[in-house]
Amino acid sequence: MRRLARFLGPLLLAAAAILLPFAVGAYPLAVARTVLVYMALALSWDILVRSGQISFGIAGFFGLGAYASVLADLHASLSPVLSILAAGAAAALVAAFLGLAILRLRATYFSITTLALAEIFRVVIHNGGDFTGGAEGVVLPKPIFGGDSRQLYWLALGAVLLACLCSLVFQKTRLRLALTAIRNDETAAKSNGIHIFKYLMVAFAASSFIQGIVGGIQVQSLGFATPESVFDPNYTLLPLAMALLGGIYSTPGPVLGAMLLGVAAEFLKLKIPYGHLVVYGIIIVLVILFMPRGLFGLARPDRPSAAKARSLLRKGGGEGSSRA
Amino acid sequence: MHSLETRSLERRFGGLAAVNGLSFSLDRGEILGVIGPNGAGKTTLINLVAGLYRPTSGAILFEGRDITGVPAHARARMGIGRTFQLVHPLESLDVLENVMLGFVFCRGLGLRAARKEAEALCETLRLGGLARELSQITMLETKKLEIARALAGGPSVLFLDEVMAGLNSDETRELIELVKDIARSRNIGVGVVEHVMGVIKELTHRVLVLEAGELIAEGPYEEVVKDRRVIEAYLGGAA
Amino acid sequence: MSLRRSAMLAAAGGALAAAAILVWKPTVLVYGVQRAGLYAAVAIPMALVLGIVHIVNLAHGELLMVAAYLTYFGATLLGVDPYVALAPTAVVMAALGLAIYNLAIKHTLKAPELNQLILTFGLGIALSQGVNLVFSSQSFKLSLGYVSASATIGDTSFGVYDFAFVAAAFAIGYGLRLFLTRTRFGKAALAVGQNPRGAAIVGIDVNRTYGIVFALAVALVGAVGSMFLTKQAIFPDVGGPYTMKSFCLVAMAGVGNITGIIYCSLVLGVAEAAINGLRGLRGWSDIVFFAIIVATILARSRAESRR
Repeated sequence: MRRLARFLGPLLLAAAAILLPFAVGAYPLAVARTVLVYMALALSWDILVRSGQISFGIAGFFGLGAYASVLADLHASLSPVLSILAAGAAAALVAAFLGLAILRLRATYFSITTLALAEIFRVVIHNGGDFTGGAEGVVLPKPIFGGDSRQLYWLALGAVLLACLCSLVFQKTRLRLALTAIRNDETAAKSNGIHIFKYLMVAFAASSFIQGIVGGIQVQSLGFATPESVFDPNYTLLPLAMALLGGIYSTPGPVLGAMLLGVAAEFLKLKIPYGHLVVYGIIIVLVILFMPRGLFGLARPDRPSAAKARSLLRKGGGEGSSRA
Repeated sequence: MHSLETRSLERRFGGLAAVNGLSFSLDRGEILGVIGPNGAGKTTLINLVAGLYRPTSGAILFEGRDITGVPAHARARMGIGRTFQLVHPLESLDVLENVMLGFVFCRGLGLRAARKEAEALCETLRLGGLARELSQITMLETKKLEIARALAGGPSVLFLDEVMAGLNSDETRELIELVKDIARSRNIGVGVVEHVMGVIKELTHRVLVLEAGELIAEGPYEEVVKDRRVIEAYLGGAA
Repeated sequence: MSLRRSAMLAAAGGALAAAAILVWKPTVLVYGVQRAGLYAAVAIPMALVLGIVHIVNLAHGELLMVAAYLTYFGATLLGVDPYVALAPTAVVMAALGLAIYNLAIKHTLKAPELNQLILTFGLGIALSQGVNLVFSSQSFKLSLGYVSASATIGDTSFGVYDFAFVAAAFAIGYGLRLFLTRTRFGKAALAVGQNPRGAAIVGIDVNRTYGIVFALAVALVGAVGSMFLTKQAIFPDVGGPYTMKSFCLVAMAGVGNITGIIYCSLVLGVAEAAINGLRGLRGWSDIVFFAIIVATILARSRAESRR
């Protein structure tokens, strides 16, 4: 009976999410869709964070996926849905290729490299001339599903479900043991037979795959892509803050964080025309200082204590990280 | 053919040879002591065997196969286990999950099977309270956990790096019996790095004495302890 | 190949490249050096923090921006030249730096360094968006006569004002070196940077040292920010790229190598200017730094992973 109860909550939530378009109007639905986009990105970021590697390059793979989708659509005449899958594949492939080099980096060096990558992608696309549309970007003849707001919402929901599934796979299988061990102490992990590079690659590719898919979905939903709009640092900032606030190293955490911050951001945007994102910066600072495990980390009933959760993050870096 | 063999193993750090021209062997069921003054290269030796360091020259053979280029995680899978002197805790995992690692990643078991095996192993070692966080366990339990983690990988050779350090005499006795049992009933070749001579005397069949990275004596404890070079190494100069 | 030989070869190559550029487009060299001055002046304070407090401050560029804004409003409200407002700005920035250290950074020093990274990342966002909130994304610019000073050599003329940044870079670099090696506090700070525990044992107040060093670095970048205002238009996001470029330089030169930063900034500054000068490649100059940062980091890690 207990087991059923555990599934009940998420099932109800999923049902509510699926039925939402029938209950609200176009504007709230559009907001919800945007929240879902960020939610999927937050989930994807968390997957890699479990290995101890923090990426500042979400926008990079998101944007890469967006352009892959748009270019596949226009130049290769792929159907919109197929182009979204192609977007995910493209992002994953690029991540795998780059990963060969950058997954040997640790901590700060890895993080800064991901930040640099996002910029590099942007500039390459920006200077891609006619093929990529250059600075003006590319416009699709029409958005996917003709721009029908309900279908666009369900599309985004699909991405979130995919991301949740991925996140759960990483929680329930040996992947969790591997990534956690790597995060805590790479030497110990190695000595227990864990092939660190392989697991980092899996996490990095999965994370980037989702980011690419979401990028494809976003661009197909909006109907256009420009280097600046698609490689927007907000696609890194918001998911990061959401996952942190909601609680990293978990699946419900980023979901919770996205719901809270997504709605709050929309609200703030209306009240404060400029600089409403300052809230995100402040939230990141506060969360890191006072509750690094996020809301969900505090409320975890199955772990011994919340205080322990806080100290767990404090030691979570382990010896694997090298000083910059 | 020996289970583990090194040939003229050398590891330099810059100009300093931490290990130099080291050749020895270890067989299943044997307990080999490794002693020497501080800085003699004992931990470096373990790191070389385990694959955390690459030797600057020389070779390491495992069951006749040259494994000098094999990375650490693969060596763990092959059957080379070790514990750490400065405990490397995996604090985000509880005791049971720590032990499960070797079963999952070295022996390829599924999570459920690994859990059962880990529980059984912990029971054999008399390690209880498996749901606890690592910060809650005692010193003796930490040592047992280290050993359990290494055993979970199914090693045929196992190196214990100063595993008796910080234990009282009762606890030391318990671990001594444990190590003897491991070598005998699991047919594992155990390398024991220790400073406490009493432990070495009781536990080992054979002893290696290292000084400044070189092997200066080899043989049963009683012989080695009378060797003039060994005495000089420990006391420094005229004995 | 020995280090000496490769250094000499690099120097020879550099001299050759400089000569080639002089022949082709002399202004590239001039502007490259001027840019290098700015980049170096901004990067050296980051190196100071990294070398002694051992944190990467991802809000570094934002602090530059904040100082520029402070100077702008100070100068316009008081009706003075920005250079007059520079000293008070630096003082305010020092106080800000001390506050940031004590309220935020201090508490994450024992945590894994990724916490600090995220913290300063959030801080940077808070600062740039905070400024956005208060002043909107409109850009501000001062028009000062002396910034358009120019010189003419042969038939090429170029702006000379930006050499002020080169002077600033040398002043900061040399000044810091003197400070760190000749003063008591400076030497203590170096000790803390090398071995915090050892320094604590001999009685140095590590925490106070960190705070003061951080405040000093922020004051220095603040001073550069004041100068920045004189030449550039400022807006909330203007500081962002400078964080990355500073980190790039510090990573290339190696922590603690102030002269290295100056050399590297020369290379990068001229490279950027050269690419800017090539009409077809203009858009790519943005990623010169980023591409080099990635290459440097990779090369470094390859060298390190030789167990």
